[in-house]
Amino acid sequence: MKLIDIALKDMLRSFRSLFAVGMMIVAPLLITGLIYFAFGGIRSEQPDIATIHVGLVNADVPSADVPSANVPFNLGQMLVDVFTDAGVADLMTARVYPDVATARAALERQEIDVAVLIPTGLSAAVLSGEPSPNTAVVILHDPALSLAPQVVGSMVTSLLDGVAGGRIAIQVIQERHAARGLALAPAQISTLIGQYQTWYTDFLHTLFYNPTEAALRLVAPGVDETAVPMSQILGATMAGQMIFFAFYTAAYSMTSILREQEEGTLARLFTTPTDRTIILGGKFLAVFLTVILQGAALMLFARLAFGIRWGRADSVLLALVAQVIAAAGLGVLLIALVKNSRQAGPVLGGGLTALGMLGGLFTVGIQGMPAFFDVAALFTPHGWVLKGWRLALAAQPPDALLLPFFIAVAMGAVMFVLGAVLFRRRFA
Amino acid sequence: MTLAIEMQNLHKRFGDLHAVQGVSLTVQAGEILSLLGPNGAGKSTIISMLSGLLQPTEGDALVMGHSIRREPEAAKACLGVVPQDIALYPDLSARENLLFWGKMYGLRGAALKKRVDEVLEIIGLVDRQKGRVDKFSGGMKRRVNIAAALLHKPQVVIMDEPTVGIDPQSRRHILDNVKELNRQGMTVLYTTHYMEEAAELSDHIAIMDHGRVIAYGTHDELIRLVGEQTRIDLTLNVDAGRVLTAWQQVEGVSRASAQDGLVTVLVDDSNRVLPRLFEAATAAGARITGVDIREPNLEAVFLHLTGRALRD
Ligand SMILES: Nc1ncnc2c1ncn2[C@@H]1O[C@H](COP(=O)(O)OP(=O)(O)OP(=O)(O)O)[C@@H](O)[C@H]1O
Ligand SMILES: [Mg+2]
Repeated sequence: MKLIDIALKDMLRSFRSLFAVGMMIVAPLLITGLIYFAFGGIRSEQPDIATIHVGLVNADVPSADVPSANVPFNLGQMLVDVFTDAGVADLMTARVYPDVATARAALERQEIDVAVLIPTGLSAAVLSGEPSPNTAVVILHDPALSLAPQVVGSMVTSLLDGVAGGRIAIQVIQERHAARGLALAPAQISTLIGQYQTWYTDFLHTLFYNPTEAALRLVAPGVDETAVPMSQILGATMAGQMIFFAFYTAAYSMTSILREQEEGTLARLFTTPTDRTIILGGKFLAVFLTVILQGAALMLFARLAFGIRWGRADSVLLALVAQVIAAAGLGVLLIALVKNSRQAGPVLGGGLTALGMLGGLFTVGIQGMPAFFDVAALFTPHGWVLKGWRLALAAQPPDALLLPFFIAVAMGAVMFVLGAVLFRRRFA
Repeated sequence: MTLAIEMQNLHKRFGDLHAVQGVSLTVQAGEILSLLGPNGAGKSTIISMLSGLLQPTEGDALVMGHSIRREPEAAKACLGVVPQDIALYPDLSARENLLFWGKMYGLRGAALKKRVDEVLEIIGLVDRQKGRVDKFSGGMKRRVNIAAALLHKPQVVIMDEPTVGIDPQSRRHILDNVKELNRQGMTVLYTTHYMEEAAELSDHIAIMDHGRVIAYGTHDELIRLVGEQTRIDLTLNVDAGRVLTAWQQVEGVSRASAQDGLVTVLVDDSNRVLPRLFEAATAAGARITGVDIREPNLEAVFLHLTGRALRD
């Protein structure tokens, strides 16, 4: 009971301190916010993504000009199908217009955001591998919009590139056969094209299975196709900040014992009929509770402010527990090694920043860091806690987190026990 | 008479420094005992041992019959300790501080709230109870510092220089509080280096110097130690140090000490000695600007016993 009273009193003091709340909650949100706005406020365009209205004019005619094939190749229809596919239904609406003039009129009336004009002879041009300006797909759009045309343009390019790739593949197959003196039967070619079309439709399905994600991927500036989606970068950035400040908060909360020693209240506590183990226990409990509250508050605010999805509840719980135990353990140990609250400042500022850097907390969004950092992170509790969060953010199930969880918790537990022993020697 | 505190040959060494050297004082239940002594005499060290902050190097003490070595928790439960330096949470209000300290003495719920109200009444801070302690004046902080030790109605209160550095009004308030608490039956162990406080409050006074009790008794008993001597207070137009040694050599002067420009001299017979003091002053090139012949006080007792002023 007294243990809880002591912990609550410590927390009351922490949460009443503007400085402490600033460092515990405001700073990590602020820093992530700056990064968020530096990337242009991704979510503000999200409603736009959800309602792209596409108009299609398909002037293409199926090409029968497939070498030795009797199946007409209908690229224009494939393009139309991409936009009317059920997989993109919650991202966009698509309407087919009979001619360019009506599509332009619809664009002017703002009935549609983007018009995709499919020229006559597209199928033939792509198949022959000899595209000309006359056979290019034209995308018209409302000049006020930037995201929608990019999304649509990218979808068109994906398909055309894919088809071009397929054409080249078939050509190579034919040449190989020809080199061995064989010729592909027309039926074989038509089967190949059929298979290719099926595969490619599936591929597009997969690509646009999560249209929001795909669209985000398209607009993340400077990020190529293989890069991590922006939402994940933002989540990992927030996780990095949260971890750094969790460690800071734990150590800061533990310094209250040094301040109490200097204020004389620790001595006064020792004159009350309260076991010293309980007094120490109360201070430790305050550290744990403060870091838990801080983590929960940051996750909630980050969800509301930046729309960060932290992952499955069970995985998130593991990541948070790892963070709490690792942070509390290091905080207790660090402060046990420090003589007074004046020394604590540089230790917190310098030591935790250095460890955070090695743990990769400040470089979460940067690809291709030197390998040294990956190795260094393995030796910091920060690095393992971050691994846990990365997995949780990637919607991994809890068993994927077990390794980082156990390592972070083990590191935290060892440091906590060491720190607690030192404190007992010193005060009890 | 029962004993509230019984110190049995208490010693405390800090390395080579022998801060407390065999103190065996007793405090009767219901009385006020003052420890009077200069800086570094060992008063706070004794209190730290009694309140469980320091382990005695040697010896033991009983608080309401409980050994501070063997039953520290029981001993602490009978004690209220007012530390010399203010020990409160500056960022909490007076009331929040008192609620917290009450809990540390095992009080809870309605009983705690009621007791906090009572104690705020005693120290006269009911109106300011919601104010943060760091916004309080020195005197108000001192009063809250005392209140925190009274919450559990301890049988024995130990106060370590509770009036240091405060205005006369707050000091008066505190001294009246101490007397009132004592009248209600609380035993008080009070330390100070103000002889007036010791004289006003105490049933018994123990004078300490260099870790030892050099005199113990009631105020009157202690004054009698000075014997038939007279105390003369003199002021000079120059630094007192210039004539002090000369005066210490004058026949009929038993002790002389100087502080704050005032020289206190203990003499057998003032009529005989005063002219010699004037002569010696003239010889040293100093002029006496004021003379007071007074009854001996505790200051004189300390001077008599140690040859030094109480407040060096
Ligand atoms: N923790 C300590 N470590 C080393 N020396 C100490 C310690 N505490 C006290 N001392 C020394 O013990 C001696 C007695 O100190 P103490 O504080 O008991 O004196 P005091 O009578 O309370 O003086 P004051 O009137 O200045 O409060 C001093 O010389 C002091 O320097
Ligand atoms: Mg003292």
